[in-house]
Amino acid sequence: MAELEAISHSAICVHDLREAEDFYCNVLGARQGTRVNFKTDDAVRGRSVHGSVILEDYLLALMVTRDFMPMPPAEQLRGAHGFRHAFRVRRARFDEITNELRRREIAFEGPVEHPEKSPFGASIYFKDPSGNFLEILWRRDEDVNYQKPYVTGVG
Amino acid sequence: MDGISHIVIEVGDLARAKEFYRLLGFESADAAGMPECGRSALFLTASGQAVIFSESPQPRSLPETGVHQAYRISLSDRNAVARKLAACAVTVHTYEEDRPSEKADNFYFYDPDGNRIQLVASPASSEGSGKILGIDHAAVECHDLEWAEDFYVKQLGLEMDHRVGWRTDDYVRAKLWGEGKEHMAPGTRRWDQRYTVMEQKRRLPRPNTHFFVRLGEEILGIYLATQHRQEPPEDQVVGTPRIGFRAGCQTMERVAQALAASRTPMKGPVEHPNSASIAASLYIRDPGGNFLELCVPR
Repeated sequence: MAELEAISHSAICVHDLREAEDFYCNVLGARQGTRVNFKTDDAVRGRSVHGSVILEDYLLALMVTRDFMPMPPAEQLRGAHGFRHAFRVRRARFDEITNELRRREIAFEGPVEHPEKSPFGASIYFKDPSGNFLEILWRRDEDVNYQKPYVTGVG
Repeated sequence: MDGISHIVIEVGDLARAKEFYRLLGFESADAAGMPECGRSALFLTASGQAVIFSESPQPRSLPETGVHQAYRISLSDRNAVARKLAACAVTVHTYEEDRPSEKADNFYFYDPDGNRIQLVASPASSEGSGKILGIDHAAVECHDLEWAEDFYVKQLGLEMDHRVGWRTDDYVRAKLWGEGKEHMAPGTRRWDQRYTVMEQKRRLPRPNTHFFVRLGEEILGIYLATQHRQEPPEDQVVGTPRIGFRAGCQTMERVAQALAASRTPMKGPVEHPNSASIAASLYIRDPGGNFLELCVPR
């Protein structure tokens, strides 16, 4: 067994880096991380165009794809296109966040209530502009403390 | 800042450059000189914008990069220039362009020193006058585009016009370039050598990131440098080649204050004697070591 220690980040594919950064930073409230391929050193070393955004304790590397990806149907909001990222918010802020998405006219499915015995309370499902599926949920075990890691960006 | 006031380019031989640029429809205005250009000659366009040729033993023209100067001309005059260039055995290139307004129509060639010139057919003037109408845009290269964007947009307050290299569309078009299906202007695409081993491909075509900022009717392009290049000494803020932006006294003061606050080196504002073609200048350089000048016209 490899005995991995932790998830460091996820790399997700996007069609437009600026549009993706705008979505993750200005809609979901991520911090802008480092970008790659905007310096001569990156051009000399030969690196793809990518950036990173940090959502609380999680780093998403945003990779600009060299080809257009197949997109899920526009009306499909809940699913796993490759995979799905789920972000946790406190129960007290869940309504505020769904209202914020409505205000920004970002279509979502839900809130879907989870069974009483599940650690999940309720979820909403939606997509980023490149068709990556996302979920926001509150958890019944939200009072359990955890150590926040230090996340910087991609090099 | 409401436009490009002048461009200073480096040439190896002043007499040869004068002869070449006269052929294109530039007119010399030997009476008025441009300060801080060394041994130079000033040519005027019909709009009053100036092009100054500064003599240098090793002209910094960077012909293989995105660096170029674009001038406005009427379509009939451009056709006449094309005939003259053909007679002098100067090759004219037409490329595909990323910037929508240049996509359909472009016309490029090199001066004898390797400065890449673009002639933009002005939609406002179809009548020929035999003169270059004005400066349309210019382009420089920079080793850090994020820093450059911060400098030009946030510090100098210029408006972002167009960005290239952030989107899958750009990659898809880079692939067409790699397959020889699109003939792109220098500096807009590049070959990536790194994936030679990783993907068993010899080379990978990529868009070379660049952006354009707007100054009134004019445009400045900033291209990512694909090679490390020696920059002028860190404390040098006045030099050539250089691009001059037209500005009012208040704008110059505001920019000087903003740059002082960020400890960006500058020289000026400097008031020029009456013999100079401009009244005052503030000399600065961008994060790529490109010399710039804000100037108050007479």
